[in-house]
Amino acid sequence: MINLNAVDRTQAFRYMGFHGEPDEKLNQLADTCEQKLLSAVKPRYCWKLFQKQEIEFLLLGQDIQKHLEHCEQVILFCATLSQSTDTCIRLVQTNDILAGMMIDAMASAFTEQFCDSVESEILNHNFQHKYATWRFSAGYGDMPLSIQDDFLKLIHAQKRVGVCVTDSGLMIPRKSVTAIIGLSDTPVETSKKGCAICKLRQNCPYRAKGVHCN
Amino acid sequence: MNLNFKKILEQEKFLVLDGGMGTMLQAGGLKLGGIPEMLNFTNPDFITSIHKAYVNAGADVVYTNTFGANRLKMAKTHKSVQNIIKTAIANAKNSGAKYIALDIGPIGQLLEPTGTLKFEEAYDIFKEQIQAGEEADFIVFETMTDLLEVRAGVLAGREYGNNKPILVTMTFEENKRTFTGCEIPAMALTLEGLGVDAIGINCSLGPEELMPIVEELCQWTTLPVIVKPNAGLPDPVTNAYDFDAEKFGSCCEKFIDMGAVILGGCCGTTPEHIKAIVNMLKHKTPVQRNISIPSAVCSANKTVIINQPRVIGERINPTGKKRFKQALIEHDIDYILNQAIQQIDAGADILDVNVGLPEINESEMMESAVKAIQGITDTPLQLDTTDRKALEAGLRCYNGKPIVNSVNGEEESLNTVLPLVKKYGASVVGLTLDKNGIPKTAQGRFEIAEKILHHALALGIRKEDVFIDCLTLTASAEQEGVMQTLEAVHRVKTELGLHTVLGVSNISFGLPNRELVTRNFLTMALYAGLDLPIINPNIANIMSCVRTYKLLANIDKNAVDFIAHYGNDTAQESKPKIPQDSSNLNLESAILAGLKSEAGIITKKLLASTEPMEIVNNILIPALDRVGADFETDKIFLPQLIASASSAQSAFEVIKAYLCEHSTESVNRGTIVLATVKGDIHDIGKNIVKILLENYGYEVIDLGKDVPYESVVEATNKTHALLVGLSALMTTTLPSMEATIKLLKQHCPWCKTVVGGAVLTADYAEKIGADFYAKDAKETVDIAKQVFQN
Repeated sequence: MINLNAVDRTQAFRYMGFHGEPDEKLNQLADTCEQKLLSAVKPRYCWKLFQKQEIEFLLLGQDIQKHLEHCEQVILFCATLSQSTDTCIRLVQTNDILAGMMIDAMASAFTEQFCDSVESEILNHNFQHKYATWRFSAGYGDMPLSIQDDFLKLIHAQKRVGVCVTDSGLMIPRKSVTAIIGLSDTPVETSKKGCAICKLRQNCPYRAKGVHCN
Repeated sequence: MNLNFKKILEQEKFLVLDGGMGTMLQAGGLKLGGIPEMLNFTNPDFITSIHKAYVNAGADVVYTNTFGANRLKMAKTHKSVQNIIKTAIANAKNSGAKYIALDIGPIGQLLEPTGTLKFEEAYDIFKEQIQAGEEADFIVFETMTDLLEVRAGVLAGREYGNNKPILVTMTFEENKRTFTGCEIPAMALTLEGLGVDAIGINCSLGPEELMPIVEELCQWTTLPVIVKPNAGLPDPVTNAYDFDAEKFGSCCEKFIDMGAVILGGCCGTTPEHIKAIVNMLKHKTPVQRNISIPSAVCSANKTVIINQPRVIGERINPTGKKRFKQALIEHDIDYILNQAIQQIDAGADILDVNVGLPEINESEMMESAVKAIQGITDTPLQLDTTDRKALEAGLRCYNGKPIVNSVNGEEESLNTVLPLVKKYGASVVGLTLDKNGIPKTAQGRFEIAEKILHHALALGIRKEDVFIDCLTLTASAEQEGVMQTLEAVHRVKTELGLHTVLGVSNISFGLPNRELVTRNFLTMALYAGLDLPIINPNIANIMSCVRTYKLLANIDKNAVDFIAHYGNDTAQESKPKIPQDSSNLNLESAILAGLKSEAGIITKKLLASTEPMEIVNNILIPALDRVGADFETDKIFLPQLIASASSAQSAFEVIKAYLCEHSTESVNRGTIVLATVKGDIHDIGKNIVKILLENYGYEVIDLGKDVPYESVVEATNKTHALLVGLSALMTTTLPSMEATIKLLKQHCPWCKTVVGGAVLTADYAEKIGADFYAKDAKETVDIAKQVFQN
């Protein structure tokens, strides 16, 4: 069961570039930020099921093709913490940059938590008898961000959850995720691939230290 | 309301709109990912047949197939907006519909500050659609969720729509808010103020879920109400909607009983659903709604009803404040934002915004300030200026219904200010003075109030939107005037029935113990009928005066608010909390430990005995160097570095204020321009760099995020900055970093560039022509030291 009443702090601290045991002051700040964040977030999601061949035009790049190799159907979903979260981050950032950074990192961590819960809810309620791949997003591997616009249109994301995309492929509200889950009748790869597929691997501060971000 | 539209409604009794277009297009074979508007060209007969099916079902109005026909969404089609819209209107006309509505949906990108689209750009996009749609009978904005976007559209409609009726429907969730948080009262107040002809709700929910939303809307507007629900909710697996036509029609009957007069269907509805509405309406007559809308102001997400004393915070105003003036000259928006946050935390209901200074362009400043404040808070604003242009600049981009401060009894003021108040649907403060100055007597001021009211009513401004300021005179200079002011307040309130406003603090000017005088006058004024005291909410004893009055006047029922604020006070005066004992702490250790408020307090003390520059050079910078060295060697991490930088920043703020008051000297070791490049809106990294650079005494010109190439060049040229820092966090925005550098090299050959951001590498930085790559904020400071050789 995924807990949406608390932020995954370990993850948030990691996003902030913090290693080791946080001191009392940092923990106190995290308490305040967590409280503010949880009262600001309005988690929303929408999804739709497609036959793979219906949406071939969206599946650009070899990595996503490989990812969905043995799948007949795909779920496209979009999850967002909504605009109120952006406003809250902006507000906190205005008079305290450290708190601003903390709440931003927490919001990112919370987005992932929310995605996990959405994913399990969709799968458990509708596709118990199928095998599902891990969720793949535009920007992973060689799948370009330029598909975001069509992706969001296909599931009416603006109308249903208020998510749009800028010309540079950035989703707004900021704490939003789109992802593709492949469904199959035969077993498929269910765990995430890690560094091999990551674009930042050349420059990654975690790898430099011999650790992982996730 | 538009006279033609009024006539149409009187004739028709009810207007029936069409039903879903998307559903019909898909049923007719629109491919996944296809662009619906293209069918206007590729299959015009099909489009006309859909319109015709709705006309045959009994719809009076059909919406053109132009929901997404704006230049952004149509860019891929290589068809002009004009061509698409004209063709769509022709297709609609061929159906023989009684009225054709030009359908305009959301632009598809979110406006600033959450998104990157500028208000003016949004206006321009809508303007193009509206001009292309001149052959239509009505202009319709539908499925809107952002009130600011709607305002851009409605303004374009009013200014370029040849007086066509404008209908607006927005999309709400069950919590009675849109995705962006817009409330029903705010929508109604704002759009009725802007002179829209009918407002309502469409999409997102089925008729049953919409009931409470429509009910509330009917309480907040005198305009005709539109309802265009979905046929229930879609199933993500089967895509089917769960309301058949019969159920839909009978559900819609309840909307008519609530007062709606314009009905149609949205997603999932078909001609059958529309026929069901037409049949239901045969036996109905419109309900007479007798409602009165209260005095209220709002932002998109918050409405403040003036049914009890509401505090207007006065602190965003440079008068007599050197530090504020400096902030305005340096375009230091963060300073203004902090003034806003402080007052809201202290309990202000509305914020007065005065950013006028002879040295600056007030219109630009007003616009920036309004946008920035609305970007972080919901508190409604009062736009305070004597400059007509600045007033209009603020009114145009304000999201909601603001107060205009002010108009007075002079003809010129009445003729310039009131038309703007009417056009933008604001409330207005009327000052009881005219060309002869401030009348000595209450009677004289009362007469001017009457005159202002008379003029406002003649322009169609509601009485509820006129607030009168009977003007506080200084008790030390004009003692006999105090009671005249209070009597005028009382008469305006009771005889004219208007709400009243007063700048309270002025009463005690020139007297000892000002706070005591101000507090007592405030209580007297509230008792006399003052609704909107303009005060400094940061002074606890002044806010407590308002809260006590509300308790004693039986407004704060059961003293809930009073106890919430003062329930923990003991009999003795509670002393302000001093953060941690700072006596044993020196500035260096405060910075190392990241103690923000302590650093400020210690700096204040130090300034009594030490030169400001000595503090900067001998304490602040060495402490920061130590922090930086610890960061580089992984003894501390980014959060601690930032905590230290923030405490150095608060020490700096104290030094800055001191220098403002005591000398012309300022700390400046060099000017640096910073920006997050065009297309990118990640700015936390850039902001950390900014603080660190400022800690070291550099003057940072922060251009913000999503900054056009030209603006970087312009700022670099203007300030002749030796160093420009550019940040980008996405691979898709690296090209705009490259373009910015190229333009800088061309136009500002003297300057060096330093770049940073998650996706950058030293190699890539070199490839795009940057002079330096900084892997973190600390390294940027080292580079700055190198460039400025200090």
